[in-house]
Amino acid sequence: MNGLVAGYLPLFDIYLIHLGLAFSQYIVLRAGVFSLATAAFAGIGAYTAGIFAVNLGLHPALGLLAGTLTGMAAAIFLSVPLARLRGVYQAIATVAFIQICLSLNIYSENLTGGAMGLNNIPKTVGTGTLFVFAALATYLIWAIERGRLGRAFNTIRQDEAVAASLGINITRHQMLAFAISGALAGLFGGLEAYHSYALDPNQFGFHLLITALSYVILGGRNSVVGPLIGTAILIILPEIARPLAENRMVIYGIMLIVVINYLPKGIADTAIDAIRARRLKARGDAK
Amino acid sequence: MSTLKLTNLSKRFGGVVASDDVNLSVPAGEIIGLIGPNGAGKTTIVNMITGMLPVSGGQIHVGDADITHAPAHEISRAGLARTFQNIRLLGEATVLENVMIGFHRHETSSTLAALLSLPAASSETASLRERTLALLAEFDLQDFADYPASGLSYGHQRKVEMARAMAAEPDFVLLDEPIAGMNDVESDALAEIFQRLAANGKGVLLIEHNVRFVAKMCSYIYVLDGGRLISEGTPDDVLKDPAVISAYLGDQHHA
Repeated sequence: MNGLVAGYLPLFDIYLIHLGLAFSQYIVLRAGVFSLATAAFAGIGAYTAGIFAVNLGLHPALGLLAGTLTGMAAAIFLSVPLARLRGVYQAIATVAFIQICLSLNIYSENLTGGAMGLNNIPKTVGTGTLFVFAALATYLIWAIERGRLGRAFNTIRQDEAVAASLGINITRHQMLAFAISGALAGLFGGLEAYHSYALDPNQFGFHLLITALSYVILGGRNSVVGPLIGTAILIILPEIARPLAENRMVIYGIMLIVVINYLPKGIADTAIDAIRARRLKARGDAK
Repeated sequence: MSTLKLTNLSKRFGGVVASDDVNLSVPAGEIIGLIGPNGAGKTTIVNMITGMLPVSGGQIHVGDADITHAPAHEISRAGLARTFQNIRLLGEATVLENVMIGFHRHETSSTLAALLSLPAASSETASLRERTLALLAEFDLQDFADYPASGLSYGHQRKVEMARAMAAEPDFVLLDEPIAGMNDVESDALAEIFQRLAANGKGVLLIEHNVRFVAKMCSYIYVLDGGRLISEGTPDDVLKDPAVISAYLGDQHHA
């Protein structure tokens, strides 16, 4: 039994790291920002943490803090020009940002190792640490959802004119969503760096963008449960059916198309809506 | 008592003049009417007051504060609330959530408290919920609190929008064609709500098509045509004004 659990532990580790990235993607979408920059923020956080450990030999706690802060700073910086854009234009601008980060990474060979990647990072993060941070991230997203910020984010996403007419400062809230997204991605990028010995620049490109987006679209965009479920399904699925693992991206693509067509709200949100409708109906019948 | 005051307010879209030197004031505690045929520029004026359209010329004051070029969310915080001509509710949200967001400008818990769901933020959320339920009861909507707002009938959706505007506890309310598409029973119910607002000291600007309804409700009426004011005065005076009659019905002698 122990052997079985131990065998799946690496998979659980990946789940915990990707959960953080899924929440990073989730929070911007929730606030009505069509940002796909999570991959870039994760790369910035991961490389900052990696460089802190390898080049400067600093304590991992400092590296994680630095990764979180640089991810957040990059996000706040990016939110300024993006505040003028909406929808698909925002998406394209953030994809361009990922590409810029990728190129800068490859050119700054002295600092980042360029195309060779950053190697020999001491492994200082295990399942326990990952679990604690994933739990904290889940709590943060849950707390935002049930309070003032969640209400403001929901309003902005659904109708900006209504939000502004009720005194909600759209620019400020979207910048806050960006900052949270950048901090989460930076933190979990840093955890990834301290968990996996080496970083490769292409790890934080288009591939990760699609992956993080898929977790949220599949799981659901309006409740904290969505990313929890979406990430679990997409991480476990290729392991259950091994041949699928070779074609992971193809499977993600097909699942996305199916889900967008038949469950546009994602698995968790559709289920929550169904439960709620049933409860209302039961209450109506009781009257 | 403060007044919402427009001075020489103008709006140009390129060469098109949508609003030309409009002077209008809404004193606290009164219902003021703004009428005019389709395309007269009524909604343009509301959108300028609420900061959704930039002003081309003139000023807007609330009391002594100049809000002419303030962003929309600051105008709301200066004490203005509005309803929309085509109802705008949050379709994914319940009736309760739709009204609760109206309280936003009065929320005081810090961002950090809200981020971490500290007790200050949780208790504020709980008390807002109570206040929202009380407000829904005032509008006779309490039975719908947990239903998705998009599933409600037209008349009920209007009331939800009104309740949301009231949650902001404004000093001035701009109502953009609030009884469009309603039957007499529904509009009478809303009329009662509007009169209660004025009795509570709020200034109400009622933008309407329905001349009969405006004449019944308002103490003073402005008539807009082609972006400019063609008449103003008490309902009796305005409805007898030949300029108003010709704007609404056309001018027989020159047709």
